[in-house]
Amino acid sequence: MTEGDVRDLCNRFFDAYENRRVDVLAELYAPDIVIWHNVFGRDTTGEENLSKLPASYLGQRRRTYNDRRINVFEDGFVIQYQLNGVQHSGHKGALWICIVGRCRDGKLTRIDEYLDSGKFPAWRGPQAPVAAAAS
Amino acid sequence: MRKDSETLALCDRFFDAIEQGDYETVEACYAPEAVVWHSHDCLYQPRADNLAMLKSGMKTHKKMEYADRRIRIFEGGFVQQHRLFVTRDNGFVGQMDVCFVAYVRDGRLSRVYEYFDTGQREKFLGPVA
Repeated sequence: MTEGDVRDLCNRFFDAYENRRVDVLAELYAPDIVIWHNVFGRDTTGEENLSKLPASYLGQRRRTYNDRRINVFEDGFVIQYQLNGVQHSGHKGALWICIVGRCRDGKLTRIDEYLDSGKFPAWRGPQAPVAAAAS
Repeated sequence: MRKDSETLALCDRFFDAIEQGDYETVEACYAPEAVVWHSHDCLYQPRADNLAMLKSGMKTHKKMEYADRRIRIFEGGFVQQHRLFVTRDNGFVGQMDVCFVAYVRDGRLSRVYEYFDTGQREKFLGPVA
């Protein structure tokens, strides 16, 4: 993959996340993709990740993936971004996240996500339900 | 022109120096304008403050180890994922997964972003007394 291919894949991944297009995400995941979150500290499969997204999306009225700073390397990318969410209560929260992605043949093969769960209360806001998780 | 081997060497030199308590080398890795951003407060820490924090940590902790280093070089910098192990005075070994994104200028660290989870504070600092 060229640098442009990797950058394009990264943006398509985040656009799909933002637009809640689980079907597109499924196309972008390699069959053997591994997804790791620092908050949980364990590997998950693509299937597990995709199955949880619809419920996860219910947590917020809207999410946008902003201020994307993408740097590309030989077999992947690192993206630093700000996740902005509007809760159903109207509360606006933000999380600052870094993801290291690995790619092969136009698909994502690994995602490592780093965020600070200490910011979850501020993300959810005072009246929001507890079930909201970010990714 | 990209100099991946030099960037890789800088990355290794920096983390090895912290592990070995070699403060002079740590300081030499920072450009004069270096700032360090942390995900828990989203603030840019000035060079002098960050170096003072590192110096104190290197003196205070029995051992610091950056394990499972996974490094990738990109145009203008690198990203390193690692698990930091810190052996504290009471023998407790704290650990934390960290993603370290560094932007490099003239062979030195110019801007650094560190991402970690304060929700796992106890795993890093030990049980609260």
